[in-house]
Amino acid sequence: TLRLICTTTAVQRKNVGASGPEKYTEAFIKKQIEEFNLGKRHLANMMGEDPETFTQEDIDRAIAYLFPSGLFDKRARPLMKHPTEVFPEQRKIQWGEDGRPFHFLFYTGKQSYYSLMHETYEKFLNVQKHQDQLTTQDLPVQKEKRNLAGSRWLTKIELEEMLLEQVSDDDYSRFIQLLQKLVALPCADIEEKYIQKFSKELPVQLQKVVIEPLQHDERGVAFSTGEGKRKTARATAVVYDNGTGKITVNGIDILHYFPVLQDREQLLFPFQFLGRIGIHDMVCTVSGGGRSAQAGAIRLASAKALRSFVTEKEVEFMRQAGLLTVDPRVKERKKPGQEGSRRKFTWKKR
Amino acid sequence: MAAPSAAGLGRRLRAWLPRIMPVRWSRYNPSYLEPEVKKESHQKPLEELTEEQREQMELKAVRPIKAAPPSLSSSVFSDPMISKFTNMMMKSGNKVLARSLMSQTLEAIKRKQLEKYHKAPENEKETIECNPYVIFHQALKNCQPIIGLSNITKGGKTYQVPVPLTDNRKCFLAMKWLITECRENKHRRTLMPEKLSQELLLAFNNEGPVIKRKHVLHKMAEANRAYAHFRWW
Repeated sequence: TLRLICTTTAVQRKNVGASGPEKYTEAFIKKQIEEFNLGKRHLANMMGEDPETFTQEDIDRAIAYLFPSGLFDKRARPLMKHPTEVFPEQRKIQWGEDGRPFHFLFYTGKQSYYSLMHETYEKFLNVQKHQDQLTTQDLPVQKEKRNLAGSRWLTKIELEEMLLEQVSDDDYSRFIQLLQKLVALPCADIEEKYIQKFSKELPVQLQKVVIEPLQHDERGVAFSTGEGKRKTARATAVVYDNGTGKITVNGIDILHYFPVLQDREQLLFPFQFLGRIGIHDMVCTVSGGGRSAQAGAIRLASAKALRSFVTEKEVEFMRQAGLLTVDPRVKERKKPGQEGSRRKFTWKKR
Repeated sequence: MAAPSAAGLGRRLRAWLPRIMPVRWSRYNPSYLEPEVKKESHQKPLEELTEEQREQMELKAVRPIKAAPPSLSSSVFSDPMISKFTNMMMKSGNKVLARSLMSQTLEAIKRKQLEKYHKAPENEKETIECNPYVIFHQALKNCQPIIGLSNITKGGKTYQVPVPLTDNRKCFLAMKWLITECRENKHRRTLMPEKLSQELLLAFNNEGPVIKRKHVLHKMAEANRAYAHFRWW
């Protein structure tokens, strides 16, 4: 069984739109939209603000003010949003008054999926024909490699939302395989627009974190702080410039606080990686966790603090060395019916 | 549409098409890549890299990267093979003891080799290897089997079929044999570091019980050559 622990919000969101035939008529939705707009103007008047420039954030604030709720689940609190966000987009009725369906693939059960596959394959054949034409005319075939690292394909949920019907895992993987085959052809640039409908840009750099500037204390020495955590340990580190390489933890020298060599190696890891061992001085506080967790927490805190002392390229190298990521591994819970998190009870035949 | 969180962004679904449901899972999102700890690989200039490595670099720039584990460090003293061996020697999570045993073993090897070095005549001094890490790596390489046996049941009978091994498996078998050899076939009074250093030095010179075990395995595979066609992968 698959236990999705590392889920994204995209996976957790259920696609309600594809779950069944139409539940709300068009007239009903139109009426809801009119009522929403009217209600928005009333609300603006009540709050004493201008009805024309009343945004969704203002609506949320007004509702939270007028109907304060102590409920824990955010989805249970009073809500006032545009009807298109509340009532998900659904497929309109697929057949006419005489009972005949509109789409020629209706009786396959997955009409939008199969029509999409047909379209994509048509484009594929087009590209092949174009390629053949170029070879018969003896023109050079373009071989520009598309940058695959900067984009990703649509997720299954996004595809379901686009097609407004359920897509199974197998179908989804077949569709992605077809797209990949299409992209792999040399003359695929012709169908670039079509392919872009199904791919999304990945943020080019994962350096979304802002590097704080250096601070200076009373004596004029530059320093910077960083926070780190690992399992249950939390640490804060202050790295000073112009030091001799002394490291103090909770007021105690590291030789006394961490008698084990492995922990001291971990503390010095960021400094050794950047080649700045004798230059910086460090004072840290740490609490919680065990011996190794505290060492890991201080390592993360010192790496974060060192970001302000170092060029952007070196920050990127540190990130690729795994120094700046929070380690998400925690102790796995014990399950009922088992002795520990994985160990089962001794099996007895009788 | 709700914006996906930073941790879930950029999932290259080529790696996560859920055809086979995995039983082992990890706390990391499947899009996270392994960290590269060595300093030299980051400081190489662009021209020296091949096409593949350039693509890898671009991919690394966009995807998130896992945190480096506590046994890995960029210092010259951390060696992935030695850490793996230490972990295999460890009992009940006592890494401190395992690590100290390992360092005592390396020290013992160095002492023995230095003794030999100082006793040897001038012309042989260059052939004696004193670096314990080199001895360890060479001994492991000498112990690695080339071909392994696997149990395949056909027609009610189980046959031992010769099967090619992956590099990881070879390494693992060599380390396992060394450790079991040192734990079982020793005198009650000898300590682990001493016995291990003896075994490593013997393996370095292609002698000793571990090498014998490897040869036995090779002979069995050669003897069962007839069943090799039972393998279907």
